Amino acid sequence: MTEQYRSRFRTLTDGSDSPPGADHHIFIGPQHPWAEEPAHFIIHLKGERVVEADIRIGFNLRGIEKAMENRTWRQNTMLVPRACGICSAVHQNVYVRVVEKLAGVEDQISERARLIRMFSLEAERVHSHILWYGILAHDAGFDTMLHISWRDREIIMDIVEDFSGNRVNPALMLPGGVKRDIPKDKADKARPMLNKLIKQVEYHKKVFTEEASIRNRLENVGVLTKDDAKITTPNGPTGRGSGLPFDMRKSFPYELYDKIDWNLVCYNEGDILATTLVRIDETLESLQMCNQILDQLESTQGELLARVKPRVPEGSYMARGEAPRGEDIHYGIANGTDKPERYKIRAPSLGNIDATLKRMDGEYVADMPVILRSYDPCFSCTNRVMLINEVTGEKIIMNQDEFARKAIKAKRYNRPFF
Amino acid sequence: MSDALKELEEILNVTLPGNLVEEVVKVEEGHFNVFSNATNAFELMKILREDAGIYHLTTISGVEKDDEFNVCYHIQHRIEDEFREVPINFTVTKIDKNKPKTPSMIDFFVAADYYEREIYDFYGVYFENHPFLQRLILPERWPDDVKPMRKEYGWEQIKEITMKIAKEALEEAKE
Amino acid sequence: MKKVLVMGGEALKNHAKGPVTKHVLKQISDHPPPEDIRTIPRIIEDRCIMCGTCVKVCPSHCLEMEKDDKENGMIWLLKPQCMWCGHCQTYCPVDAIHIDRDPNLSVSLFSFNVRQDYEMLVAKGSYKGDVADKKLQELIDEGGKKIKEIEEFRGA
Repeated sequence: MTEQYRSRFRTLTDGSDSPPGADHHIFIGPQHPWAEEPAHFIIHLKGERVVEADIRIGFNLRGIEKAMENRTWRQNTMLVPRACGICSAVHQNVYVRVVEKLAGVEDQISERARLIRMFSLEAERVHSHILWYGILAHDAGFDTMLHISWRDREIIMDIVEDFSGNRVNPALMLPGGVKRDIPKDKADKARPMLNKLIKQVEYHKKVFTEEASIRNRLENVGVLTKDDAKITTPNGPTGRGSGLPFDMRKSFPYELYDKIDWNLVCYNEGDILATTLVRIDETLESLQMCNQILDQLESTQGELLARVKPRVPEGSYMARGEAPRGEDIHYGIANGTDKPERYKIRAPSLGNIDATLKRMDGEYVADMPVILRSYDPCFSCTNRVMLINEVTGEKIIMNQDEFARKAIKAKRYNRPFF
Repeated sequence: MSDALKELEEILNVTLPGNLVEEVVKVEEGHFNVFSNATNAFELMKILREDAGIYHLTTISGVEKDDEFNVCYHIQHRIEDEFREVPINFTVTKIDKNKPKTPSMIDFFVAADYYEREIYDFYGVYFENHPFLQRLILPERWPDDVKPMRKEYGWEQIKEITMKIAKEALEEAKE
Repeated sequence: MKKVLVMGGEALKNHAKGPVTKHVLKQISDHPPPEDIRTIPRIIEDRCIMCGTCVKVCPSHCLEMEKDDKENGMIWLLKPQCMWCGHCQTYCPVDAIHIDRDPNLSVSLFSFNVRQDYEMLVAKGSYKGDVADKKLQELIDEGGKKIKEIEEFRGA
């Protein structure tokens, strides 16, 4: 069984180890114009068809698990969301639930705190999915969709910034509750924005389902059948696009997901279009959940933060959460002090690699960007740039504002940037 | 025969032989910890995979105890009609610290490939019958005998080794 | 059902409109961040009891403290290392810390060249004035040395 599905890094220096029949080998990443994320793909081709694909990972090992063993449980609350650039809230949510269970205070969390946590999680899912299908359209050569979806994404980013003070990393959660309240005036301000975004996402869905130029690139490309999916164990939208109807929010409910009205999205086709539609439908579902949560917040009162002692009693607990990309699992072991004995994090992308490699078998090389993008590899951007003048070797460090001003001047007066 | 074992057997619809299982603990509603030692783990996993039909492996985590290593397989029993999952933490206990060795579960789960190689990297636990137990995550220059997640290596030591590797790489690049 | 030019209307509309991203290139002062934006912490001197909780809970180790007793002591902050999480505010037992909401500060902190930028958050009793200033100068000198080392290591 493993022979058929396994992936490994073949040594190509002597040429003897290349898969049978392959005549070309293409290397993608980690420093490659296609992708910014740290993974190295090797694609073995016969003519234009893929024979086998491999991956090599580990270019960006930051040692978060080891660092967590050297910090207290309280400090780790702010280290854990840094595990991922874009799905930070879900990491924090899972961590916080591990600590609460170990400390035995999970009954003391008020409903209002849980609702605010859920809003943060759903808003994150919305902006992550919109970002993803924008980039997918870009990879498929449909840049108009990229610009339009990212323009509309700003709506939800503004809401998150208004509620939490940060754009991408809301960092609202703490063991015992949440840090900030969502007052009524802010909620009233957010509601028309959410409704506007729902309209826009419906329009995006119309484009993805009807527009021929994007559909031809996605339909029947990289099909992952249900049987293959069961063996290669994809999680999240990748699995739900192949007919595995498992969403942590339904299958093992946490927070208040069992008390809110929403539908599970599942498609059976298994191609890239199905994964895309899963994500678009989920975006709509999350947006209506956001509206529901804001309505419920009006009638729910409660203490925002329960007290959790810095020392966590001995024990171990495994918690999972549904990240935008799939299932996020944390396994924490406490030893009675204020530091964790061991803390294991597995972010969803690692679990989806096997399925993505399986998807590539027998596909055209021109479809590779779309298939590689399909499992939503993630990266984070920062607000600053560093420019190096190649001629003089001079380095200029500037912030966004300076950079923008310089760029405008260069453009307006038609003179070189440096 | 504990209550938790009975409940788990009912959910999975199989019998788990008493000599293979060390202990079953119920964490919360529909969430179990199963303990089994390194000699019996393969047999028990075979029952779970082939008779109970568990096909989803979420991840594997390595744990260092005072006098032994543990390897914990986080598997999910999926009930598709009810859209429900029963998480099971399958812990392989009593892995000798001097010669850490445990059977590989790659025959049952394809996904075990990456996770087992990760633990081999970080803890040096040797997985028997794994077809290509090679380095996955650590950099190429990392010394083979340093297993960074073990308790004997502190944060400062890891930092030192990292800096040393970086310096070597820089010098090589300059030449 | 497949169609072509589903986005035709949108494209025409956007041709007539000005660039959407225009406001991004304007000065940030014209489009200020929201009121609740997070930046670095500030400490109210009268309330602070020099208990050191903020230093203990800080995840990025950017707060440091030197003290004799409750009345004499100082706390300083390594500004660029602060990630504005607000832990110090949450766990302060006497509510002496609040998060500064100055949007201009949030802009000025976005650059690499302030690595040695320290700020004295609170200085009480005998640590007030000259002692605090001297400590700050020492820290800045040390920070400058560290930067030099790092740059040498990088081969710059």
